[in-house]
Amino acid sequence: MMIGKSLLAIMFNVHKFVLMLKEEFELMRKLFIGLAVASSALLGLSTSAFSGAHAKCGDVTMAEMNWASAELMANIDKVILEEGYGCKVELVAGATMPSFTSMNEKGQPDVAAELWINAVRNPLNKAMKEGRLHSVVEGPITELGEGWWIPPHTRKKHPELKTVLDILKRPDLFPHSEDKSKGAFVGCPAGWGCQLANNNLFRAFEMEKKGWVLVDPGSAAGLDGSMSKAAERGENWFGYYWAPTALIGKYNMVPLDFGVPFAGKENWDGCIVKAEQDCANPKPSAWTKSEVHTVITDRFKKEGGAAVTYLTKRIVPGPVMNAMLVFMADQQAGGADAAVEFLKKHEAIWSKWVSSDAAKKIKKAL
Amino acid sequence: MDFFDTFPAMDRQGLRDLKKGIDSSFREFSRSYGEGIEDFFEPLLHFLVWLEKLLINAPWPVVIVGIAILAWLGSRSWKLVAGTVIAFLVIGYFGMWKDTMATLAIISVATLLCISFGIPLGIWMARSERVQLAITPVLDVMQTIPSFVYLIPVVMLLGIGKVPGLIAVCIYAIPPLVRLTNLGIRLVDKEVLEAADAFGADNRQKLFGVQIPLALPNIFAGVNQTIMMSLAMVVIASMIGVKGLGLPVLRAVSNQYLALGLLNGLAIVVLAIIFDRVSQAYGRRLQAHREGTGHD
Repeated sequence: MMIGKSLLAIMFNVHKFVLMLKEEFELMRKLFIGLAVASSALLGLSTSAFSGAHAKCGDVTMAEMNWASAELMANIDKVILEEGYGCKVELVAGATMPSFTSMNEKGQPDVAAELWINAVRNPLNKAMKEGRLHSVVEGPITELGEGWWIPPHTRKKHPELKTVLDILKRPDLFPHSEDKSKGAFVGCPAGWGCQLANNNLFRAFEMEKKGWVLVDPGSAAGLDGSMSKAAERGENWFGYYWAPTALIGKYNMVPLDFGVPFAGKENWDGCIVKAEQDCANPKPSAWTKSEVHTVITDRFKKEGGAAVTYLTKRIVPGPVMNAMLVFMADQQAGGADAAVEFLKKHEAIWSKWVSSDAAKKIKKAL
Repeated sequence: MDFFDTFPAMDRQGLRDLKKGIDSSFREFSRSYGEGIEDFFEPLLHFLVWLEKLLINAPWPVVIVGIAILAWLGSRSWKLVAGTVIAFLVIGYFGMWKDTMATLAIISVATLLCISFGIPLGIWMARSERVQLAITPVLDVMQTIPSFVYLIPVVMLLGIGKVPGLIAVCIYAIPPLVRLTNLGIRLVDKEVLEAADAFGADNRQKLFGVQIPLALPNIFAGVNQTIMMSLAMVVIASMIGVKGLGLPVLRAVSNQYLALGLLNGLAIVVLAIIFDRVSQAYGRRLQAHREGTGHD
């Protein structure tokens, strides 16, 4: 839900933010040139002076975003970097916009473990081109993003329904409570950015003609409630959701292949995400890929050494992340507790990210 | 000293287990009885869907004429009828016809439901101290508990849509009617009741011939409050998927669409005012009639 909220905040703020940034950038660029000259001189000094000091990565600040999965990511990094690589990690509370802006402008914090790109694409591209920020890994969590889901028992009972296209042929399996002759597709809550995308995809797939009703759950609570109710009771359910989230993990919801490829950026950005009147001919398309990166500052890239290498390898499988989110929700555990739980339980996963020497140290610390 | 510094709270594990226990027992309940409860409300859902379809699919002039006739029957005031017609024309003109009809359907049903449960409950409360003692705290809870607290279990039981929306609306809107009915009947003069006794009226005659007529001003104030409060709940009901004027308001709130929010919000207000004026006028007429043929 936190991600949902942030996504939505993202979507609405992008426009304003980009405008604002355009102005900022002019200022920034002037400042940056000066800074770059100064810092490269300094860096040149420091790397030549301490070229042997790679093992010690020093002080690192990391953004701890305000939703569960990012909290966990930041805390896993903290434990591994502190115990395995001797860094001193400070977590800084943040959210997509403020953390990114701060990284971009002030070079602080050094690491954003789970940065959702869609909101900050333009300024990030620019910063990467200018060498201020670097993406060390694309998709630090796999299988994340938005899409259309069904509960596992539906998949089990009807294995032939493999893609969205298959499901669309069977509205009778997902009856709408208010009109049993129609199938219910639960869309995105009123007012969220994803509402437009769902509406347009509903039209693109000609779902009305195929006997479907687009149900507006009204709020995040409505959407959650409708999905949990179906999952708890073993009823069929077909609707929009996103991962990584505790609910997806809790009920092992199954993401659906759309049965059609992603129909191009033009279709998506120029039509699907726009209001209905601005999108006359939506083409059926798979959901756009949500890009999430681990982004670090230039300073950390140059000085981080082995710690940076670790970050490039650190990829958490989606199902594991979802399970961890369930653990956090059930136990009401914070990021720190959950990180310890993760490291204890999933050694097979994280030991591949680190050197055997670091792995030993981390294990000892646990 | 430690005892005074930190509150001797339940330990974290215990608290967690307690919460989990409550959650899982509710889940069990929902699993075993949810479907039955849903079936129980099925006729109500059908009625709601039917009414909404009727209002939406009927040609708009027919609907407006129908509403105007109802307003006339209720109020016998041309001014009110004219105002009602103009209000609906404006609403339709601004493209809110369908949403308004959906809201009208659910609010009418909610009001009827509240009246048919609220007034008998109020009468029962007025006739028995013990019932009053038992029901008053329940009404307090219904009025003050944040709606989402009971929306979660309602949604888990019944899913999203009209019926849970209706229940949420009624939980919030019924208490004033119950309270005011109770109050109105209790305020009826003892001497009047004694007079009724002296004429040999039995309990039923006393209730329908004396107490309820004399309590009518209060009861109508209650009906009026119920209508107002159910309209106020339209937006909350939309948060669990009830179609109507609430959805555009939600959309407006999260996108900061000032005009959209204002238009739909005002449409809700207009509905409320029409409901209110007509029901008030009807109440006044009822009482005037009583007074006219009474024995003053």
